Amino acid sequence: MDITQDSLTKVNPTKRPGRIGFIASRVVIYALLLLGCSFTLLPFLWMLSTSFKSATEIVKLPPTLIPENPTLQSYQTIFSDPRVPIARFYLNSIIVSVSVVAMVLFTSSLAGYVFAKYQFFGKNLFFTLLLASLMIPFQVMMIPLYLILVRLGITDSLLGLIVPGATSAFGVFLMRQFIENIPSELIDAARIDGASEFGIYSRIILPQMSAALATLGIFQFMGTWNDYLWPLIVITTTEKRTLPIMLTWYNSQHGARFDLTMAASVLVILPIVVVYFIFQRWIVRGIALTGFK
Amino acid sequence: MTVETPKRGSLFRSQHIFVASTLTPIMLYMMFFTLVPMLWGVAITFFRYSPTRVGGFLGFGGANPFIGVDNYADLFSNSPNGQLFRISVKNTLMFVLMYLPLNLIVTLPLAVLIEAVNKRLKVVFRTIYFLPIVTSAVAVSLVWGVIYNPTFGLLNMVLRDFGLKGLPWLTDATTRVFGIPLPMLCVLVTYLWSDMGYNLVIFIAGLQGIPEVYHEAAIVDGANAWQRFRYITVPLLRSTLTFVIVMTMLSSWQVFVIFFVMTGRGGPSNLTRVLVLHVYEVAFRFQEMGLAATVAMALFLIIMVTTLIQLRLLRKDWEY
Repeated sequence: MDITQDSLTKVNPTKRPGRIGFIASRVVIYALLLLGCSFTLLPFLWMLSTSFKSATEIVKLPPTLIPENPTLQSYQTIFSDPRVPIARFYLNSIIVSVSVVAMVLFTSSLAGYVFAKYQFFGKNLFFTLLLASLMIPFQVMMIPLYLILVRLGITDSLLGLIVPGATSAFGVFLMRQFIENIPSELIDAARIDGASEFGIYSRIILPQMSAALATLGIFQFMGTWNDYLWPLIVITTTEKRTLPIMLTWYNSQHGARFDLTMAASVLVILPIVVVYFIFQRWIVRGIALTGFK
Repeated sequence: MTVETPKRGSLFRSQHIFVASTLTPIMLYMMFFTLVPMLWGVAITFFRYSPTRVGGFLGFGGANPFIGVDNYADLFSNSPNGQLFRISVKNTLMFVLMYLPLNLIVTLPLAVLIEAVNKRLKVVFRTIYFLPIVTSAVAVSLVWGVIYNPTFGLLNMVLRDFGLKGLPWLTDATTRVFGIPLPMLCVLVTYLWSDMGYNLVIFIAGLQGIPEVYHEAAIVDGANAWQRFRYITVPLLRSTLTFVIVMTMLSSWQVFVIFFVMTGRGGPSNLTRVLVLHVYEVAFRFQEMGLAATVAMALFLIIMVTTLIQLRLLRKDWEY
């Protein structure tokens, strides 16, 4: 921008915000941010507080944010209910999420490596197909995917949740982007030293991508752990439910007992919130980098 | 790129074997779970199709007869399904059109504010605002359902405490605010709460990419905070804005869980029946997969068209 005579005369030192103006603007900024924070945190606090209330306190007027007589009763009720095998639900969610994450990381990094560092017939066509598949919303695919599971005979099983999720077009795309930045000289050097192609992948490429793998892994884990629509379609038996499915089912049984439904909600979100606080930086950076959701 | 002109044939061959043996199974697997469902999904829109009935090859034919474009015609007919489909389109469109500006009005200024505070506090604020994103949508819907509950919900208890009358927030079929049904508005607020952290983080990243000099030059020129926001930040954030607008619209067309858990099967008088909910119901409750796949195709078409229009409108011809 040119500094012209005109623009210079507009600068009027006396009119620029002084110390008081600066402090006032800071106060307004922090007030707005804190207001937004309380909007964000209030439902969490309400969930937590309700889960520690007794059945009588949840209907008491006026409502209390901090329970008068905090109790673990709702949690005990859930854990001691023989119709609610909560450990089983946890195990199901863990089995599905961990298997999907492991397979997505393996297939994405391997395919991403091949797309990034090798020349072969049809490379561009395959990669374009891959990108095109990213444009198709899951909701369009879910009916025929379910029909495939029916044919494979794996509806109402954890396998039905794992098998269609074992690969990720987005994962391949992301991994390729990262691997392209790894110098090819490194690969050539390893090759001259007699490394096998798979050895290059596992011993040269993989160790350099811990950040990328972690980012993809965390997102995939959160996505699979919180997934609702697909397990809702696939799973019908109680013992095969994952946590989010358990939650709506539990709510349909105890809808009026907020203390119980909120305790169950806390149990479902707790592991993911812990993961979030541990990997917070990577998650936020990953979103900013990739726009992944 | 790697060795494109190999000096030794064996090296070249081992690379080809590696590519073929790793990529072929992965690509075949992916095609099996994307291309096959895509084709199957298109095919069943021309059939009255349900896996519960016996048909010929892959269930086609027999009790699942070919019916031409009847499923498509049904969407525009006066049949109950046609009417429900059009209601769903209307509701989803209303949701999308309301949600996009609402989200931008909240997240963009909030991102600018967060950018203005010091580094350590910035991380704290960002962490808090992002928390709902990682939370299960089911848990989000349940806790907001508790807040909106007509008898013992937080909102009505607080209102009653102030001597006001509570409202049946999620089941009210008559109250409208600016023409928007109350339950729809409640879900909008919840969806904003659960989703705003995502755009916030992207905006913050975009703001950090704007070179400091432009703001400094504007300050020298005597621009106030609003003018800097309007004439520096917004135009220079254009590519981020485009991305955010396209992605937000894409995901809000596909909204399902919140509506399904908070207002059940379409809410009062189908006021909150959205497209994916309709697809789910037709496919898995009424087992009419052909018809449901047709609705899904319509959703796909709507999403494609709106995305292309947006990309066209928001195209820019300059770079900084």
